[in-house]
Amino acid sequence: MSRVDRRQFLKLVGAGGVGAGAGFMLAESIKHPVEHLIPYAVPPEEYSPGIATWYNSVCGMCAAGCGITVRTREGRAKKIEGNPLHPVNQGRLCALGQAGLQVLYNPDRVTTPLVQTGERASDAFESATWEEGLSLVAERIRAARDNGGGVYFLSRGVRGHLAELIELFMSELGSEHLLNHDFAHPHSLYAASERLFGERDLPYYDIHNARYVISFGADYLNNWLSPVHHSLGFGHSRQGGEQPRGRFVQIEQKMSLSGAAADEWIPAQPGTEGVLALGIAHRLLAAGVYAGEDAADWRRALAAYSTNRVADQTGVPSDTITRLADEFARASPALAIGGGAAAEHTNGVDALVAVNALNYLVGNIGEAGGVVFNPPPVSGAATRRQANYQTMRDLIADARSGAIAVLIVNDTNPVFSLPRSSGFRNALSAIPTIVSLSSFMDDTTVMADVVLPSHTYLESWGDDVPEPGVGFSISAVSQPVVSPLYSTRGTGDIVLGLAAKLGLGRALPWADTKMFLRDRWRAIYERGATDAADFDTFWREVLRSGVWGENVRRDHQLTVDRSVIETIDVPPAEFAGSPDDYPFILHPFLSTTMHDGRGANLPWMQELPEPMTSVVYGSWIEMNPTTAADLGLADGDLVQVASEHGSVEVPLIVFPAIMPDVVAMPIGQGHEYLGRYARHRGANPIQILAPRLQRGSGALATAATRVSVVATGRRAPAVRTGGESRQLGRGIVRSTGDDDAGTAGHSVNLRGIPIVVKQA
Amino acid sequence: MQTDGHKLGFADVNNDVVRSLVVTGRNYYITLGTAIFVMLACFFFPWFYQLFYGIGAAGMNQPTVWGTYLASFIFWIGLSHSGTLLSCVLHITNSEWRKAMYRSAEAMTLFSLMVAAMMVMVHVGRPWFIHWAAPYPNQMEMWPNFRSPLLFDVMAITTYLTGSLIFIYMGSIPDFAAVRDRTTGWRHHLYVLLSLGWRGSDTEWHRLGWAYTFLAVLIIPLAVSVHSIVSWDFAMSIVPGLHQTIFAPYFVVGAIYSGTAGIVTVMYFLRKYMKFEQYITTLHFDNLGRLLLVLSLLWSYINILELFTGWYSGTSTEYEQLKYKLTGYYAPLYWEMILFCAIAPLLLISKRFRTSFVPMLILSIAINIGMYTERFLIISTTLSRQYLPESWRLYVPSLVELSIIVGSVAMFVTLFLLFVKIFPSVSIYEVKETMPTPKAEKGDLEWQATP
Amino acid sequence: MNFIERFAASWREYRKPGYYDRFDYAWTMTIDLDRCTGCSACVTACQAENNVPIVGEEEIAKGRKIQWIRIERYWEGEFPDAKLKFIPMLCQHCDAAPCETVCPVSATYHNQDGLNVQVYNRCIGTRSCAVYCPYEVRYFNYYDHHWDPPLEQQLNPDVSVREKGVMEKCTFCIQRIRQAKDQAKDDGRRRVKDGEVQPACVQTCPSEALVFGDRQDPDSKVSKQMNDPRAYRVLEDLNTSPSVVYLKKVDADAD
Ligand SMILES: Nc1nc2c(c(=O)[nH]1)N[C@H]1C(S)=C(S)[C@@H](COP(=O)(O)OP(=O)(O)OC[C@H]3O[C@@H](n4cnc5c(=O)[nH]c(N)nc54)[C@H](O)[C@@H]3O)O[C@H]1N2
Ligand SMILES: Nc1nc2c(c(=O)[nH]1)N[C@H]1C(S)=C(S)[C@@H](COP(=O)(O)OP(=O)(O)OC[C@H]3O[C@@H](n4cnc5c(=O)[nH]c(N)nc54)[C@H](O)[C@@H]3O)O[C@H]1N2
Ligand code: SF4
Ligand code: SF4
Ligand code: SF4
Ligand code: SF4
Ligand code: SF4
Repeated sequence: MSRVDRRQFLKLVGAGGVGAGAGFMLAESIKHPVEHLIPYAVPPEEYSPGIATWYNSVCGMCAAGCGITVRTREGRAKKIEGNPLHPVNQGRLCALGQAGLQVLYNPDRVTTPLVQTGERASDAFESATWEEGLSLVAERIRAARDNGGGVYFLSRGVRGHLAELIELFMSELGSEHLLNHDFAHPHSLYAASERLFGERDLPYYDIHNARYVISFGADYLNNWLSPVHHSLGFGHSRQGGEQPRGRFVQIEQKMSLSGAAADEWIPAQPGTEGVLALGIAHRLLAAGVYAGEDAADWRRALAAYSTNRVADQTGVPSDTITRLADEFARASPALAIGGGAAAEHTNGVDALVAVNALNYLVGNIGEAGGVVFNPPPVSGAATRRQANYQTMRDLIADARSGAIAVLIVNDTNPVFSLPRSSGFRNALSAIPTIVSLSSFMDDTTVMADVVLPSHTYLESWGDDVPEPGVGFSISAVSQPVVSPLYSTRGTGDIVLGLAAKLGLGRALPWADTKMFLRDRWRAIYERGATDAADFDTFWREVLRSGVWGENVRRDHQLTVDRSVIETIDVPPAEFAGSPDDYPFILHPFLSTTMHDGRGANLPWMQELPEPMTSVVYGSWIEMNPTTAADLGLADGDLVQVASEHGSVEVPLIVFPAIMPDVVAMPIGQGHEYLGRYARHRGANPIQILAPRLQRGSGALATAATRVSVVATGRRAPAVRTGGESRQLGRGIVRSTGDDDAGTAGHSVNLRGIPIVVKQA
Repeated sequence: MQTDGHKLGFADVNNDVVRSLVVTGRNYYITLGTAIFVMLACFFFPWFYQLFYGIGAAGMNQPTVWGTYLASFIFWIGLSHSGTLLSCVLHITNSEWRKAMYRSAEAMTLFSLMVAAMMVMVHVGRPWFIHWAAPYPNQMEMWPNFRSPLLFDVMAITTYLTGSLIFIYMGSIPDFAAVRDRTTGWRHHLYVLLSLGWRGSDTEWHRLGWAYTFLAVLIIPLAVSVHSIVSWDFAMSIVPGLHQTIFAPYFVVGAIYSGTAGIVTVMYFLRKYMKFEQYITTLHFDNLGRLLLVLSLLWSYINILELFTGWYSGTSTEYEQLKYKLTGYYAPLYWEMILFCAIAPLLLISKRFRTSFVPMLILSIAINIGMYTERFLIISTTLSRQYLPESWRLYVPSLVELSIIVGSVAMFVTLFLLFVKIFPSVSIYEVKETMPTPKAEKGDLEWQATP
Repeated sequence: MNFIERFAASWREYRKPGYYDRFDYAWTMTIDLDRCTGCSACVTACQAENNVPIVGEEEIAKGRKIQWIRIERYWEGEFPDAKLKFIPMLCQHCDAAPCETVCPVSATYHNQDGLNVQVYNRCIGTRSCAVYCPYEVRYFNYYDHHWDPPLEQQLNPDVSVREKGVMEKCTFCIQRIRQAKDQAKDDGRRRVKDGEVQPACVQTCPSEALVFGDRQDPDSKVSKQMNDPRAYRVLEDLNTSPSVVYLKKVDADAD
């Protein structure tokens, strides 16, 4: 099952998911109660000791929405693998997805509802029953409504029908204040799509079929949008078969995983990535590559981006720019993507507009190997509730002004993921009632008055429409793979429970989330896209394959409005702090292991060496070797990293591929709570970020802070697994270009495994 | 043979030696008590701690999975050389000066081998299964792996230990008989058993002499093979810096070198504290000093060869090894070793030095410190830097390891202290062979029955 | 004489390249470095599948990580032309495995599928095999490892956990191989089909850099990849005859 395209996918799903290796089981059957010790004289049908049962579901570890299939034995989850039928990940998972079992079996989960007994943030809680917890919260909500106080719901980005359920709940409460907050939400990409194409949607980038990819800062193989899908595409483009090998170019200030994988890594001055894109566009137009009707408009708009000027601004040599443009024009199909730091400067949206303009100019919109916009989702209209920094500020203001009576926080951790300067944490103290639905005692949950712990994703019902999807319509169902470990409930069930207590039963009549889901999926069934004889058969098929798709594609008659073309421009990025006091631009990045901090409480992730540096269990700051030498700093020195808004202490790592005036720090450590593995470990760079916003998206420009780096005089080398990082001519990792003529002849016939003594 | 013993009579020899067995002063008990205490506190306590928690108590890590335990193992095996080996060589070459010292030298062999065996127990992860390395019929129907140099090691060391034991025992039989005839009580019974009914008849002397020489000839190649085989534990690996043809002679020379130095140390203390001034004399120190000088030059030569091959190979792996050894983290230890084992021994050129007891003692200890360092470096510098640079990692011994090194010395001392009270530590009859045959005098008859 | 001749003949035979190819399977992994992104999903997949213990920060600081497959990273060049190359490193299941000869108790040996097998129960913990292995892929249990409850509920019941004092390493997911063979037998097939066995690391690799199969079968994917001109083996000149074959990274800008 290596290649799943739309046609094949539909065929497979139609055939009922044969070959998935996924044992099918009725949902009820996995709910055998753990409380009773019954010898399995007559064991449940799908439960044979010694034989694994597989359940298909959806990965809940990041927003990519990969399909998973979980191997269970004797009622316990043993291993998560990718669902081979799911077109996003086609059986594969990233490291974080693999580690999902440690969310389920995490020793630091909240196991029952909790009621705060001491001060806020004193971490003094008492367990309560669900009845007590729900009643207490319902009572507070009722009181708030009676007194005209606001009820706010702040959630992680929830998709699918669960989003609809929450939406429904809030509208029944008469509250507009439903917000999603995710640190890594690609605000600028949404904004850029909207500005350029009028699409308030994430585009799907078809790396699989692309033969040339320029990535402006997007760490697409690591954690940008849909890394597993991108990696599949990358592998295929590189060595997938008949077509010429795809070439990958990465433009960024600090080498990312994707930068390491690229054929060419080009550092550009921070904040000038968009300028470089427009420089390439300028060259494309000058060379007559683009022949659309609006070519003249483009030419006019880009007049200022002559190669030489762009070379000056970006620090990328002009012949490199010309070459990139020529390669981009010649390769077919060529694809430009943008993200990471490029999207996180104050001009991030402009930069992404510029990057996407490149795609437009080479005519790859809607084409294989280009940019494809997804059709409307099969199910659960995606809600657009993502709070940008501006919205969060409003929320903070509301809290301060006393407008918020009850704040329900669902599995999002703004105390950790908003800069200290935002004042979020302090503002929480002005809110009379805070309810957390988190499964963990995280930095925000510890501020709560009531904790109604949710199931982890492996115990819950839900469904998902992956974003950015795969260019055709899919939806996946997530089902519990084990019976709940503790006295926790699905988020949907908690909402329904609250609704019942609040007398909203008429509008939300479902007994539980599963009934609600079935209800909604019945509507999908009734659209008639399936041959299943009845709904139950359809539902079983969907559960078995874990994913459902319809043969719907968008037509791509996308044009860029003239008025938009005229405004295309990338203004200089602004940075907070003066270059004299704060000589370095801080590049906080999402690391492979920690992501935005959600990896921190998983021992597998703490112990997984960050691929670029091999650091485990901690934070660090990366600095260019020459800069470090100039400052008299050595690898392993403990340094103080200070911005105008605070400082952190971390060990220094001398990193060979980072620009001299940039320093990079991974996000994800520095938790004050979140359990034994995460607590008091490393430092959180988000805390010292300056509150600069991206022009045009209102989101925090996380790459816009200047910092100083000062030695503390102490040494505290980061714990690393790697030793010497040079090969010393030993030919361990070999490349085709290497001069190893002496061995080349032997490698062609390894079946015979000749005994050869290599002639030096 | 020109010992200072020309004034000694046969009776004096018997008396002196038996006195050393029977008369025990307070100092002896204090020393023995201290040694036993240090052995328990520094060897057995940390070892049990390690058994309980795991080898993690030591400082070993991923590339450097071997550490001081194995270094100690080689060290003690090394120390065991010279003892029996030297004794055999000198026996065959009829070197008279051997006779006053060989018994204690052979004992050294025995005890160092025992300590070495203990180091193996400390070294392995699951010593409670160590018997699996021995070939014996068992319900698992499993043999050990005869291709493994470690197994050669087990064989070689067991053989050497057995050989040495028989050799020292056989050589002691006439002395046991002598002591038997001069002791009473439990000692008498013990020596009756140990002396196997020795009567001193011509046939007995003849057979003893023949068997003794036969064993001596047999043990020489055995001893050489033992340390060659120990070296193969390392040299048969493909670790850069270990995979060297020079290793067998290197180890053998090193072993004899440190063993000889060890003999000097032990001689010094025997002479001083067991009151053997008249038996162990400047002559012994002079001869041992000459031997040490030759060995140190040989050892230096092999070290130079090692450097040369590393450089000459021209491969990154060997070259990095060499560079690391000379200039890397462990380089101070390397230069310490060179100072103690190659430079300081050049003092032995001077006869005055060789015949001065205290300087010889200091030098002999320095050489063994240097030789311990050598064994440590052989392991640490190579294993920490093998083929894949990404896996390079420093190894620093832990406190538990250091303590066990100290404890193992105490164990050796304990064993030796017990030995001097059971075995006649100077060979009675062979010392007498070096003396002019006395005329029968009045009162001497009693010992004429026994030689 | 006859005996010696016979011995010599069988020794020659035994040392002949491809000796293990004559048996039922010769399991092989190919690793395409041009695909591998260093994402490390394989590492976590292996940890999860094989009950690899979490050793903790202090232990890793001492150099005692346990990761049956690890990603090695090698830098080349200096800024701005710096390059970082990754290489997944796991037991190479050498047909002439140095680790096997040295084990005094035969706790590590070659099975007829060409796997370098580690028998935990037999291991006495001399660690010699780790010294002899040039790929540094053998990991020693310096302690008894502990899973904070209820993390132990995740442990794979098809794989034993290892006690202190024993060596462990990649098994090519032998439990999955056995399962596939059982399946083949149940289905009345003589052989396991190509692609039927997927070790955990291979299964998850997002860029499909890892391929596993039987090099006995000329049509298997690994057989084909082994004939790719890019194929090489790490530390080839040591003649360990690894069963892991790497495909060179393509240097697009090489002359
Ligand atoms: N393929 C394979 N075969 C094996 C083994 C293997 O590992 N793999 N292992 C072997 C070993 S070590 C063993 S011990 C045997 C075990 O072989 P069996 O003794 O056959 O073991 P089970 O199948 O575990 O249990 C037998 C039956 O007892 C029922 N049972 C459970 N509780 C009770 C109870 O309270 N009362 C009554 N009356 N019945 C109960 C179970 O439902 C089951 O149907 O199998 C051997 N056979
Ligand atoms: N859940 C559950 N637990 C049970 C039982 C049960 O039926 N169900 N039965 C109980 C009984 S009766 C018994 S006897 C015990 C058995 O308990 P265990 O002895 O633990 O049983 P197994 O799972 O059969 O085998 C242990 C491990 O050995 C591995 N293995 C197989 N062959 C080899 C090999 O050649 N070399 C090495 N190194 N490993 C190998 C297997 O992959 C497995 O990981 O379990 C007891 N516990
Ligand atoms: S990319 Fe995201 S959804 Fe996919 S496996 Fe990784 S964490 Fe899970
Ligand atoms: S999972 Fe695949 S791509 Fe990722 S590091 Fe492992 S081998 Fe490389
Ligand atoms: S890679 Fe190492 S452990 Fe694996 S078979 Fe080869 S020598 Fe043995
Ligand atoms: S550590 Fe175990 S497997 Fe390795 S050589 Fe020693 S006994 Fe054999
Ligand atoms: S083959 Fe299996 S045991 Fe070996 S590294 Fe891969 S997952 Fe781990």
